[in-house]
Amino acid sequence: MVVNKPSIIIYTVHAEPEVLREICAGIEEEGVLYEVIDVPDSTDLKKLACEAADASILGSGIGLADRHAIMQMRAVPEDKPVFELHNTNLAAYRKLGANSARAIKKLPFKM
Amino acid sequence: MNRIGHPVSELALVRLNEAAPVIGDTAMETITETIITESSMIGHNPSTPAGAGQAAGTLIFLENLESAHGGECYIVVASENYSYEEVAKRLNSCHNRIQIKGLILQADEAVLVENRLEFQIPIVDEVKHIKQVPEGKLAAIEVALPGTSIRMLSNPYGIATLLSLDAEETRQVTPIAKSLIGKRSAVVIRTPHGNVKENVLPAGEIYFHGVQETRVSIDAGADKIMETLAQTGNITDISGQPDTNVGNMLAGIKSGMEKVAEGDYDFIKITDILAVDTMAPVMISGALAGETCMEKAVGIAAMVKTRQLPMERIAKKLGEELGVYVKVAGVEAVMASLGALTTPGTKLPIAILDMGGGSTDAAIIEENGTVRTTHQAGAGELVTMLIQTELGLNSRVTAEQIKKYPLAKIESLYHMRLENGAMQFFEESIDPRYYGHVVLLAPGELLRIEEDLSMEKIRLVRREAKQKVFVRNALRALKEVAPAHDLRNIPNVVLVGGSAEDFEIPEMLTEELANYRIVCGRGNIRKTEGPRNAVATGLVLSYLGSLPAEEK
Repeated sequence: MVVNKPSIIIYTVHAEPEVLREICAGIEEEGVLYEVIDVPDSTDLKKLACEAADASILGSGIGLADRHAIMQMRAVPEDKPVFELHNTNLAAYRKLGANSARAIKKLPFKM
Repeated sequence: MNRIGHPVSELALVRLNEAAPVIGDTAMETITETIITESSMIGHNPSTPAGAGQAAGTLIFLENLESAHGGECYIVVASENYSYEEVAKRLNSCHNRIQIKGLILQADEAVLVENRLEFQIPIVDEVKHIKQVPEGKLAAIEVALPGTSIRMLSNPYGIATLLSLDAEETRQVTPIAKSLIGKRSAVVIRTPHGNVKENVLPAGEIYFHGVQETRVSIDAGADKIMETLAQTGNITDISGQPDTNVGNMLAGIKSGMEKVAEGDYDFIKITDILAVDTMAPVMISGALAGETCMEKAVGIAAMVKTRQLPMERIAKKLGEELGVYVKVAGVEAVMASLGALTTPGTKLPIAILDMGGGSTDAAIIEENGTVRTTHQAGAGELVTMLIQTELGLNSRVTAEQIKKYPLAKIESLYHMRLENGAMQFFEESIDPRYYGHVVLLAPGELLRIEEDLSMEKIRLVRREAKQKVFVRNALRALKEVAPAHDLRNIPNVVLVGGSAEDFEIPEMLTEELANYRIVCGRGNIRKTEGPRNAVATGLVLSYLGSLPAEEK
């Protein structure tokens, strides 16, 4: 895959639209670009998140399947996701998006 | 005794030193306060405001936009009940009818709204108490360009320009402008009676009782207070003007001492103080977004002379428990000086500086055996208090840790930047909760600083606090004991006690005292112990010295 914009990569597998919208809003408010790419055949979300981080030239990526979201940063081991959310409230997904942007800006994560 | 593999019963004698009968305490009092009467400003640092520039207009809530008059300028106020999409949609739809000049948001969504607006305006977000914004009033809004701070609203004439104020009104808004200096975004609201006041609290006077009676107002600043203290000479007690801040402060210290010293109130005398000027970030009362203002404050360390501590009782009790003869054998400072002499490279006359938590003690032994000692108020605990106040920390423990450990910033999950610029890498990725944070390098662990403070700021405050207390007090104490009160008559100074182990205080003192041609450094007792165990070594040495020659 050729990626040439400095953006956060979001790989989605049958993503829940309102969750995706919150994640994107979180990134946008921090002023970082993002790119949503649908990969409907993937099954391993942890691996997908790592691939997203590797594909991003900023080194920050998100994997989203249904309402399961994982945020990853390049070179972080696959089995130790930076953030992981399953079926939770929308504000938490907004924060996950913001944190994927803050990872690039080298700012402390919102907790 | 376990360490050297001998039973306690083999001991023939335990020697105790007589502790200095002084206890130190600290207190802090702000002497100015800023009060907002009627909500008349917002000035804080949201992480992501949007737009840039300044404008003026009438405040109006988003839900009341229908009633807005065409041709008039408005600053719209939106609560978090409206999503960014809703806010943008409503503003876009009525943009042609009325002039919208700025936007104040409760939620952290300034950039999101800006990206959806068809026109550009300054947007301030994260305003917590949005309901208290007075609708219908004229207001000025400003958002600074990235990397800069606001320029119009931190300037009294800037506010006058935007809100068309006359000379008298401009004079009244000056404290507002002052408190907005350095902010990224701000709103100033024109209210007929609203104002930001800077009050100077009745801080009171300090009375020194000594050879002569002197008094000094606390507003005069730390330098003046210390100068008056030095002029007074042979202080027997220090008190404060009743029913003022400083009066309550000194009375509080005394009553606190009562409990520790087991003495009655009248007996407790403050014999020395160290005053330090400082600034404290204080929440502005009546603020809309949790604004703080740097207020002038003064920190005071006081030292109380108590009755002789019950050393004989302690010795007796210890003797009973150990089954060994225990003897109270010497004054702390003298014993410490004797011990300090075992540091390689020292000779008589020798001075020691023992800087602990509550007091700074100095002693000197001359060639002819003359000993002089002094105890001065102010040491480690005052430094901790200054760090806590100036950085606005909630916890004293954090301030204590900042004092003790060097700083670093976690720049990625795999490395951190140390305060001296060096870089350190981790084998495994670090816990993401540390990411981007400033941390303290405690032995074996990283301590995270929760407050939003830069590494540079913390380092500056920490070093200044140490300079203000330790360097100043070291000079004061050494001058007191020096022959003819001239520092140049002391050839060498050995640092002992807790603060001598600090990672930067010994270097600060070495540098400062080099100006007086004094050799000064961290002690190395018996060539092996570092600055510790000076008193114990002195106690053993004094025992050996007292034996008849054949038994040595």
